[in-house]
Amino acid sequence: MSRVSLNQAAPDFSLPDFSGNMVSLSDFLGRKNVLLVFNRGFA
Amino acid sequence: MAQLRQDYPQFVARDIEIVVVGPEDARAFAAHWQKESLPFIGLPDPTHSVLKLYGQEVNLFKLGRMRAQVLIDKAGVARFVHYGHSMSDIPKNAEILALGDEINARTDAGA
Repeated sequence: MSRVSLNQAAPDFSLPDFSGNMVSLSDFLGRKNVLLVFNRGFA
Repeated sequence: MAQLRQDYPQFVARDIEIVVVGPEDARAFAAHWQKESLPFIGLPDPTHSVLKLYGQEVNLFKLGRMRAQVLIDKAGVARFVHYGHSMSDIPKNAEILALGDEINARTDAGA
Protein backbone atom coordinates (compact mmCIF):
# COMPACT_ATOMS: atom_id res chain seq x y z
CA MET A 1 0.00 0.00 0.00
CA SER A 2 1.40 3.40 -0.99
CA ARG A 3 2.29 6.05 1.52
CA VAL A 4 2.90 9.72 1.24
CA SER A 5 6.46 10.91 1.76
CA LEU A 6 7.52 14.03 3.58
CA ASN A 7 8.42 16.99 1.35
CA GLN A 8 6.98 15.28 -1.72
CA ALA A 9 3.92 16.31 -3.70
CA ALA A 10 0.75 14.92 -2.14
CA PRO A 11 -1.28 12.87 -4.64
CA ASP A 12 -4.34 14.70 -5.91
CA PHE A 13 -7.79 13.17 -5.53
CA SER A 14 -11.44 14.08 -5.95
CA LEU A 15 -14.34 12.85 -3.83
CA PRO A 16 -17.86 14.15 -3.26
CA ASP A 17 -18.46 15.42 0.27
CA PHE A 18 -21.43 14.05 2.18
CA SER A 19 -23.65 16.71 0.59
CA GLY A 20 -22.59 15.69 -2.91
CA ASN A 21 -20.25 18.61 -3.65
CA MET A 22 -17.08 17.49 -5.41
CA VAL A 23 -13.90 18.30 -3.48
CA SER A 24 -10.41 17.96 -4.97
CA LEU A 25 -7.15 18.42 -3.16
CA SER A 26 -6.04 20.64 -6.03
CA ASP A 27 -8.93 23.03 -5.21
CA PHE A 28 -6.79 24.30 -2.36
CA LEU A 29 -3.56 24.84 -4.34
CA GLY A 30 -2.26 28.36 -3.84
CA ARG A 31 -5.16 29.16 -1.50
CA LYS A 32 -4.97 27.10 1.67
CA ASN A 33 -2.90 24.60 3.55
CA VAL A 34 -4.78 21.34 4.07
CA LEU A 35 -4.75 19.01 7.07
CA LEU A 36 -5.86 15.68 5.66
CA VAL A 37 -7.17 13.42 8.41
CA PHE A 38 -7.75 9.74 7.75
CA ASN A 39 -10.20 8.85 10.41
CA ARG A 40 -10.40 5.54 12.23
CA GLY A 41 -14.20 5.51 12.37
CA PHE A 42 -17.01 7.25 14.17
CA ALA A 43 -17.78 4.56 16.72
CA MET B 1 -12.26 14.68 16.26
CA ALA B 2 -13.53 16.67 19.24
CA GLN B 3 -10.04 18.08 19.71
CA LEU B 4 -9.87 19.17 16.07
CA ARG B 5 -13.26 20.83 16.43
CA GLN B 6 -12.17 22.63 19.57
CA ASP B 7 -9.01 23.97 17.94
CA TYR B 8 -10.60 24.62 14.54
CA PRO B 9 -10.41 28.45 14.84
CA GLN B 10 -6.67 28.13 15.37
CA PHE B 11 -6.35 26.07 12.19
CA VAL B 12 -8.44 28.61 10.26
CA ALA B 13 -6.23 31.41 11.58
CA ARG B 14 -3.27 29.63 9.96
CA ASP B 15 -5.00 29.15 6.62
CA ILE B 16 -5.36 25.42 7.27
CA GLU B 17 -8.49 23.67 6.01
CA ILE B 18 -9.27 20.39 7.74
CA VAL B 19 -10.47 17.62 5.43
CA VAL B 20 -11.54 14.33 7.04
CA VAL B 21 -11.65 11.18 4.91
CA GLY B 22 -13.23 7.99 6.21
CA PRO B 23 -14.59 4.65 5.00
CA GLU B 24 -18.19 5.35 6.06
CA ASP B 25 -20.87 6.28 3.53
CA ALA B 26 -22.37 9.74 2.99
CA ARG B 27 -25.34 9.05 5.25
CA ALA B 28 -23.12 8.07 8.18
CA PHE B 29 -20.93 11.12 7.60
CA ALA B 30 -23.91 13.47 7.48
CA ALA B 31 -25.34 12.03 10.68
CA HIS B 32 -22.03 12.26 12.52
CA TRP B 33 -21.32 15.80 11.32
CA GLN B 34 -24.75 16.93 12.44
CA LYS B 35 -24.52 15.17 15.80
CA GLU B 36 -21.08 16.56 16.59
CA SER B 37 -21.53 19.96 14.88
CA LEU B 38 -18.26 19.52 13.01
CA PRO B 39 -17.16 22.61 11.06
CA PHE B 40 -14.74 21.01 8.64
CA ILE B 41 -15.04 19.11 5.35
CA GLY B 42 -16.05 15.45 5.50
CA LEU B 43 -15.36 13.12 2.59
CA PRO B 44 -16.94 9.67 2.60
CA ASP B 45 -14.68 7.13 0.89
CA PRO B 46 -16.65 3.87 1.01
CA THR B 47 -14.59 2.39 -1.86
CA HIS B 48 -11.38 3.25 0.05
CA SER B 49 -9.88 4.87 -3.06
CA VAL B 50 -8.22 7.77 -1.25
CA LEU B 51 -7.57 5.76 1.90
CA LYS B 52 -5.53 3.34 -0.22
CA LEU B 53 -3.89 6.14 -2.24
CA TYR B 54 -2.55 7.58 1.00
CA GLY B 55 -1.78 4.21 2.56
CA GLN B 56 -3.91 4.32 5.69
CA GLU B 57 -3.12 1.20 7.67
CA VAL B 58 -5.65 -1.30 8.86
CA ASN B 59 -4.63 -3.22 11.95
CA LEU B 60 -6.68 -6.38 12.08
CA PHE B 61 -5.44 -7.32 15.54
CA LYS B 62 -6.29 -3.94 16.99
CA LEU B 63 -9.66 -3.98 15.24
CA GLY B 64 -9.56 -0.95 13.09
CA ARG B 65 -7.93 1.65 10.97
CA MET B 66 -5.00 3.59 12.31
CA ARG B 67 -5.46 7.32 12.12
CA ALA B 68 -3.19 9.11 9.68
CA GLN B 69 -2.67 12.85 9.21
CA VAL B 70 -0.94 14.74 6.42
CA LEU B 71 -0.38 18.50 6.40
CA ILE B 72 -0.11 19.79 2.84
CA ASP B 73 1.08 23.29 2.09
CA LYS B 74 -0.35 25.68 -0.51
CA ALA B 75 2.06 24.32 -3.13
CA GLY B 76 0.63 20.82 -2.67
CA VAL B 77 3.68 19.44 -0.83
CA ALA B 78 3.33 17.19 2.23
CA ARG B 79 5.03 18.98 5.15
CA PHE B 80 3.92 16.67 7.93
CA VAL B 81 3.12 13.00 7.62
CA HIS B 82 1.99 10.86 10.53
CA TYR B 83 0.79 7.28 10.31
CA GLY B 84 -0.50 6.12 13.65
CA HIS B 85 0.78 2.82 15.03
CA SER B 86 -2.00 2.39 17.57
CA MET B 87 -5.50 3.69 18.20
CA SER B 88 -4.15 6.33 20.58
CA ASP B 89 -1.22 7.38 18.39
CA ILE B 90 -2.54 10.77 17.31
CA PRO B 91 -0.31 13.84 16.93
CA LYS B 92 -1.03 16.85 19.12
CA ASN B 93 -2.77 19.75 17.44
CA ALA B 94 -0.15 22.08 18.93
CA GLU B 95 2.53 20.33 16.88
CA ILE B 96 0.58 20.79 13.64
CA LEU B 97 -0.34 24.39 14.44
CA ALA B 98 3.31 25.23 15.10
CA LEU B 99 4.23 23.69 11.77
CA GLY B 100 1.47 25.75 10.15
CA ASP B 101 3.14 28.87 11.52
CA GLU B 102 6.47 27.75 10.05
CA ILE B 103 4.96 26.99 6.65
CA ASN B 104 3.19 30.34 6.51
CA ALA B 105 6.32 32.22 7.58
CA ARG B 106 8.25 30.49 4.79
CA THR B 107 5.52 31.27 2.27
CA ASP B 108 5.37 34.91 3.37
CA ALA B 109 9.13 35.13 2.96
CA GLY B 110 8.76 33.88 -0.61
CA ALA B 111 10.57 30.58 -0.05
